[in-house]
Amino acid sequence: MNLTRDRLRSIGWAAVLLTCFTFTVILTFKVNAVKSQVRLTERKILAIKQDKLLLETEFETRANQQQLRSLNAVEFGYNPPAAGQYLEGERQLAALGKPRGADAPDPIRVASADGPKEAAEITPMANPLTGKAMAAEPAKTKAKPTTPDNLGDRLSRSEPRKGKPE
Amino acid sequence: MSAIAVSTAVSSGRGELVSVRRRSLLMAKWRVLWVVAAFTVIAIAALLRIMFLGLFEDAPTRQQFGTTLLPERGDIVDRHGVPLARAFPAYALWYNPAALGGDGPPLVRSPREVAEELVGIFPDLEVESLTARLKEGRPGYLRRRILPEDANRIHALGEPALEFPRETERFYPQGSMAAHILGFVGADGRGHIGMEQVFDQRLTDPAQRGTPAALSIDTRVQGALEDELLRGIADTDAKGAAGIVLDVDTGEVMALASLPSFNPNLIDRAGEGFIFNRVTNQVYELGSTFKPITVAAAIDAGTVTDLSRRYQSNRPLAIGGFQIRDSHALGASLNVPEALIHSSNIVTAQIADELGSDRLNATMRALGMDQRAQIELPARGFPIWPKGDWSRITTMTVSYGHGIAVTPLHLASAYAALVNGGIWRPATLMKVEPGHAAQGRRVFKASTSARMRQLLRLIVDLGTGRSANAAGYRVGGKTGSAEKPGEGGYRRTSLVATFASAFPMDHPRYVIIIMLDEPQGTAASSGQRTAAFNAAPIVGRLVPRIGPLLGVMPDDTRDVDISDLAPLVGRGDGE
Repeated sequence: MNLTRDRLRSIGWAAVLLTCFTFTVILTFKVNAVKSQVRLTERKILAIKQDKLLLETEFETRANQQQLRSLNAVEFGYNPPAAGQYLEGERQLAALGKPRGADAPDPIRVASADGPKEAAEITPMANPLTGKAMAAEPAKTKAKPTTPDNLGDRLSRSEPRKGKPE
Repeated sequence: MSAIAVSTAVSSGRGELVSVRRRSLLMAKWRVLWVVAAFTVIAIAALLRIMFLGLFEDAPTRQQFGTTLLPERGDIVDRHGVPLARAFPAYALWYNPAALGGDGPPLVRSPREVAEELVGIFPDLEVESLTARLKEGRPGYLRRRILPEDANRIHALGEPALEFPRETERFYPQGSMAAHILGFVGADGRGHIGMEQVFDQRLTDPAQRGTPAALSIDTRVQGALEDELLRGIADTDAKGAAGIVLDVDTGEVMALASLPSFNPNLIDRAGEGFIFNRVTNQVYELGSTFKPITVAAAIDAGTVTDLSRRYQSNRPLAIGGFQIRDSHALGASLNVPEALIHSSNIVTAQIADELGSDRLNATMRALGMDQRAQIELPARGFPIWPKGDWSRITTMTVSYGHGIAVTPLHLASAYAALVNGGIWRPATLMKVEPGHAAQGRRVFKASTSARMRQLLRLIVDLGTGRSANAAGYRVGGKTGSAEKPGEGGYRRTSLVATFASAFPMDHPRYVIIIMLDEPQGTAASSGQRTAAFNAAPIVGRLVPRIGPLLGVMPDDTRDVDISDLAPLVGRGDGE
């Protein structure tokens, strides 16, 4: 079998055609694979969205106004807050700070510059009752864990304290 | 063809051979050309295909994505997007005797056993009838709607004949709340009463049903209103109640309730009786709540210029064989603020008489009292409106809310005009975007409206509306207790108690109308039937619940200035 140039060329063309065709088929397959993947994912998204809708509706139903009302009536007994519980802004909040005297004049607000920087020196943490630095305070004895045996001790100890202010 | 060419070449001489060769060459060239053309076409096709795949392929899937999630009937939501009605893939319980196949019995166990199990899940079913139904072997619904957990329990029974298909149904998560606003969807798939009927076209249109239809109501306010009305009914043994919360500047209905209500999820014979809407469909003589309208018309027309002017109040007015009297003696004379505070029919009738029938008639017409209430709902009652020219006695009775019967919605719209600066606007159940409120028409002057705010606040501060005075909310309003007409005149024991109010009075935002139908005197209402003891306290409890939700914060430091009117009022008890 002799391979003439023409024949070689046609074989070459055929090979190119075959390769092109193969690539096209492979590409089509790949595209279809991705497409079906997308479709599957979409279906999953749809199912989840529908589930979400279902759960949302169930939640809305279980938490509807009538349910909340009866829950509040049985369980919580919340009442609407009164006028005194609302503040309109920071100004009203600040006004709560100090009760004014009966004949007190309107408070005068003055502009003030920032005080000298205090951040340079950090004072050690102090006990607000004794005024001593925390390091100087005697170490607390560790409380014993309560067991059924020493429970009686604890109760008898706390009993006489009741009336006394600390 | 080539066979013929070869045979001629063999039989002919050299010259012919040359021509054959030329012809063959030509033919070969042509063939190459054809092959090249074919390749080019294939290459172009492949390229086009690649381009097509790359460019257009995901378009159809996206469309499919949209259509699958598109509900069969659009959702209805409140003004904040809380779903009030939605198409919901609910489970139904379907009996399919052919599920097992073959000629054997349709159920694995005996019908009675299965029926008993089913009654264990649904206690309202009956064993006997259910057994008969299962024995009969006809396919059909055993139940139209079941809960997912019930579906699981039925699945656990292990009976293939009991199927629970998912069906898209109309579901109302809030139950009977706002039932009169929403209506329901019948077995025919069409909306009935309420907004389901109004929106029917829009909710089923594929182009529009994807976006939910937003109503003007606020679920939380609606819940609070129904709750307080229910409590009011329970406290007073009333036959029914109606309530409405209306935005005075836009006409948006924030809440609208008619009790007793029905459950749109389950329309049965008991529910059908309650479908009637008392707010928009039933007309009532609303009594003394009309007095502020009369006074406003008189101030507007200039027939009342001096609020301190005193009118006689101890002699019943005898007009054409008819006597106008007060419920109890209120002293020799009253000025206008006192007449409102003590709710005097005699004084109001005198004010109306001076105003004249034409002007009162014109004001009432401007407030829409002579036509059906303006709202989207299909069921709207026609007022009982005195026809023709009003006689003197008609004018006088209308002035205190008798001889004219309107719906509570008419009254709400009128009160909105009374306090919002004098503009009447139609009520709407559609959410109104800011700046798109209906233009409305001017009924009262702004100055009259400002005066009315003071007077209404005065009534709550000092008069019959005191139990509505929620601390910090600056409520203003007027009570009205009208006897219901019956055979042979008015019935003294059947009352319609109404409280028409607005808050906050220094800058009114919302009108609240509360109406109780035939309240009884009970311990909770101090043995009284009048609005001051039953309808007004409902407003007093409702306002602190809904005020902050609607953006009205209580504030003890603000109020409408009534210092110029307060000295005109002698302190005393009213109604």
